Amino acid sequence: MPKLQSMLLLTDKGYKDLKKAIFACTLTNLSFMFPYMVTIQLFTELIKPLMGGSLSFPRLWMLFALGVLAAILVFFASKNDYQKTYVTSYMEAENTRISVAEKIRRLPMSFFNTKDLSELTANIMADCSTTEHVLSHILPQLFANAISITLICVMLSLFDWRMSLAVFITLPLSVAVIFVSKRVQNKLSEKFVRAKLKASDQVQEYLEGIKVIKACGLDGEKFSALDKAMHLMMKMAIRLEFVTGTFVTGSQALLQAGVGLTVFVGAQLLTGGMIELIPLLMFLLIVVRIYGPILVEYTLLPELFHHMVSTRRMRKLMSTPIMEGDTTVPLKSWDITFENVSFRYNENDSDETMVINDLSVTFPANAITALVGPSGCGKSTISRLIARFWDVNAGSIKIGGVDVRSMDPEHLMRYMAFVFQDVVLFNDTVYNNIRIGNMNATEEQVLSAAKAARCDEFVRGMPNGYQSMLGENGHTLSGGERQRISIARALLKDAPIVLLDEATASLDPENEVYIQQAISQLIANKTVIVIAHRLRTVADADQIIVLNQGSLAEQGTHDALMQNEGLYRKLFDIQQESMGWSV
Amino acid sequence: MKQRPQEQSAPKTGLARLMELAATRKPLVIASTLLAALAAIAAFVPYIAIYLLVRDLLQVYPAFSTLDMQRTLSLGWLAFGGILLNIILYFAALMCSHLAAFGTLYILKVRFASHLSKIPLGYHVLWGSGKLRKIMDENIEKIEGFIAHQLPDIVASLVAPIVMVVILLSVDWRMGAVAILGIVVAFAIQIKAYGNEGAKKMMDKYTVAMDDMNNAAVEYVRGITVVKAFGQTVFSLRRMHDAIRSYTKMVIPYTLSWENYMSAFMTIVNNIYLFVIPVGILIGLGATDYITYASTFLFYLIFVPSIATTMLKIMYVTSGGMQISGGVEKMDEILHTPALPQPSAPKRVTQHDVAFENVSFAYQNQNHDALSDVSFVAREGQITAIVGPSGGGKSTIAHLIPRFFDVTGGRVTVGGVDVRDMTSDYLMQKVSFVFQDVFLFKQTIMDNIRFGNQSATDAQVIAAAKAAQCDDFIQKLPQQYHTVIGTEGVHLSGGERQRIAIARAIVKDAPIIVLDEATAFSDPENEYLIQRAFEKLMKGKTVIMIAHRLSTVRSANQTLVIDQGRLVEQGTHEQLLANGGRYSALWQQYNQTLSWKMTRKEASANA
Repeated sequence: MPKLQSMLLLTDKGYKDLKKAIFACTLTNLSFMFPYMVTIQLFTELIKPLMGGSLSFPRLWMLFALGVLAAILVFFASKNDYQKTYVTSYMEAENTRISVAEKIRRLPMSFFNTKDLSELTANIMADCSTTEHVLSHILPQLFANAISITLICVMLSLFDWRMSLAVFITLPLSVAVIFVSKRVQNKLSEKFVRAKLKASDQVQEYLEGIKVIKACGLDGEKFSALDKAMHLMMKMAIRLEFVTGTFVTGSQALLQAGVGLTVFVGAQLLTGGMIELIPLLMFLLIVVRIYGPILVEYTLLPELFHHMVSTRRMRKLMSTPIMEGDTTVPLKSWDITFENVSFRYNENDSDETMVINDLSVTFPANAITALVGPSGCGKSTISRLIARFWDVNAGSIKIGGVDVRSMDPEHLMRYMAFVFQDVVLFNDTVYNNIRIGNMNATEEQVLSAAKAARCDEFVRGMPNGYQSMLGENGHTLSGGERQRISIARALLKDAPIVLLDEATASLDPENEVYIQQAISQLIANKTVIVIAHRLRTVADADQIIVLNQGSLAEQGTHDALMQNEGLYRKLFDIQQESMGWSV
Repeated sequence: MKQRPQEQSAPKTGLARLMELAATRKPLVIASTLLAALAAIAAFVPYIAIYLLVRDLLQVYPAFSTLDMQRTLSLGWLAFGGILLNIILYFAALMCSHLAAFGTLYILKVRFASHLSKIPLGYHVLWGSGKLRKIMDENIEKIEGFIAHQLPDIVASLVAPIVMVVILLSVDWRMGAVAILGIVVAFAIQIKAYGNEGAKKMMDKYTVAMDDMNNAAVEYVRGITVVKAFGQTVFSLRRMHDAIRSYTKMVIPYTLSWENYMSAFMTIVNNIYLFVIPVGILIGLGATDYITYASTFLFYLIFVPSIATTMLKIMYVTSGGMQISGGVEKMDEILHTPALPQPSAPKRVTQHDVAFENVSFAYQNQNHDALSDVSFVAREGQITAIVGPSGGGKSTIAHLIPRFFDVTGGRVTVGGVDVRDMTSDYLMQKVSFVFQDVFLFKQTIMDNIRFGNQSATDAQVIAAAKAAQCDDFIQKLPQQYHTVIGTEGVHLSGGERQRIAIARAIVKDAPIIVLDEATAFSDPENEYLIQRAFEKLMKGKTVIMIAHRLSTVRSANQTLVIDQGRLVEQGTHEQLLANGGRYSALWQQYNQTLSWKMTRKEASANA
């Protein structure tokens, strides 16, 4: 049972509450037996005249009163059960959601690597809702049904074991059918899932490639591949449904054959004088209803298994270790040193080549260091390693002599400001989007950062100025405007180390002027590490580090590197040439 | 001259639309509902059998040895037979409904996919493939639940109460009537619970709270880099936390508002015999034939528990909700987008000047024009550059040439012929469009390049690849030209993908080339190679090129400056500079950005 607690990520209180809910649900189930007891008593009264007695109407009225009383109990049992179940499940789901959100924040960036983030979120939120559903609609009923069916089975056996045998003997047989058929079903289900994935792949290719498909007049060919995949999926779905349906139906029929069996055995026993009429009537009354809850178990159990499998993602997320470290150690200087650092994104993939290979360099404090090199050389990775978005596989990175791995990532972040290529904006006001840089900033500080980052120019033009809402991921803003907001954030944070991705190549000149001015403000008097794409912009940097395939190729000032006539010189010349290119 | 498809005249929504969709496989759906109804009737048979047995027993009481075993046995069979029949009929109903459902899904998807290839390509640019894929993979799938399960269940739960009422009334109408009274009370509670205004408002609130929470979560995870970079905790990211909290805060009272109704409903459907008892007693007071009286009374006591099963089923069916229809609406929205009209008498062209004549264009659902009154001619064999601030309408011009959208005013012509007077296939042959984002199919590189021209030989493909500067990196791939894109270990950079797209266009060899911001690449090596590739592609064609970096187009035959949807200036680089207008301002800014350098000293001097 404690396994269930960890499977569902329940808190101790939630687990206790779940047990209470199961108990409440069991009480309700058992309370549903009251009407049967009263009915049996009515039977007894009604057949008394047949044995020569007389019908006692006052006794009948009394039974009626008893029935009403029982009904009131049923009402309160349901009410109690309802409250316990739903309040518990929603409160627990809230806890799960918050702890998942909290966990996501503390996970290393490596967890998000190669994952589609919005899909991941959607899945995890769906998992939380599934847990909620399992807690409210599945578990209490599943356990309560099992308990009450067992209790009823035992009670009936005490009355008459032969009759209860007739009622329940079909149960193991029908369960056996389900188990035996499981393998066939799984196989078919696998085939179906494969067909479904294939169809989904084809859909994706068709939709994403539609521009190419149309431009090249391939409608027919690509369409027939899609059509075939969808047709196969339909066939597999039908086959799966038919086979599964046959087995399920068969096992249901088998189970309920117990009704006929009970009638037959009952009649035999009665004629043989081995059972009284009243117990027989009781069995007849119960036999037509007892299979209902059992059939419910048949549907709840697979549903539970299905949900358990589908929430695996969430459990995996919750069990992923977080990065830990000291939260107090103060950094006193900002020299960043790489000592024999090696790194690759997928640690377990030994085939993958190192993204950073045995790199030893120093980024001096209060200076600008530029990272340059061909695409894929590892420039961006270096800035991510400094910020401890990932941990190195070998070697160490130290800031002011302190290994970044010994520092809590959140604590480390306090010393850094970032401006990356992809800017994330929240569905909130412009003002709040900038304030994210420093939640303690005064309004004056926020506005002056916005001005320094040249945001003022476009914000003033928006309908509500700084209080304008940005919409989902700020889709109303242009790339250049987004960049400027992200620079304003960084300015507001005023951290001693600035990590910068200089990628403004695709912007129009007007925007670019503004961004360049904003960057100049940001890097004043800081330790700056810049990932440079246009070599001219970093020609005045204090130090240029040239990378090639994860290793250090060259290092020095622009002038020194130009004289070196190495990779830097080559890149610089190519770039000069392509800058001058015209159609 | 614009034709509107018929569907648009009276688009059905909600349940009506679902029924219309279900009718795609009418015979199967009808068979399934009939079978489901019969199954519902068969479900009552065991209760009748048990009743008949009890009556037999009372008749011979207490001399049970005189019981007619043959008859008893057949009653046992009847009871089991009823159950078996119920199961088999229901199974058959579900099979029919599933055949109908899967068939309908298939037809809908095919219809949807083929419609997608007929609507203007611009919609694909606007909607994005993600949204369309979600409709095909998720929204359409949901219709299965309605046709396969809900529809037969709804029919069964409509038929079952009718049969139940008939049985209840036919044995003894007085006891029957009170039992029905019990059912009516239970129903009334249901209607009260679901029907009142408050519940509906709550339902809306619930949906909003749920959506809020999901949106907040998506934003939260997408912003995780920011959250981490600025040390935000979940509690300070107000929205996420608030959304979770307010969902719980709303859902608990929402659920608990049903508490009394649900409990009362459960209590009543399980205790309908309490309605029967008083009437039974009163009848008994004046009964003359005791055996008949007792067996009738017993019948009702045995039969009424079956009401609970039926009523619970009805409850589940009605609470199944209408979430499906939301998904259908999204599908319909796209199905109702008119297909690109094709000319009845298509024309051909021999010459390839592209001309805009007083072209205006507005995107759907937007009230301001993206382009207004734009006129220019792009000559064959010349390069026409389009520059201007982002969002000014440059891409819109590019999109109108291959008819991604139809203009809302004026006309676009190729070789003097309105593009609307050519078939889409023909126009597509004439225009090569190189997009910023490049899509490669999960096929070999050879196939991917050959998409440009299906009849190209291997030698032609390789020649095009060489011209597009692809050959070098392709030779380094595990299987060179036969390497399948997307397989393990094959990762192409953006610049490499771009060059494959150019190779595709070279193989296609269309007379008109449209380039959408395709030259700007952050990595110098790639940029150099891409420029070489473009040179090969553009030779002798009508080229229309959108450019950010002004230096790349300074030797274009003409440059159009587009700002806020209008053509503000036009001419060669030299003419425009001499004009001293918008272009020359842009050019100055551009040169200023080129000379900018990052230095701390200079920056501090600025600050």
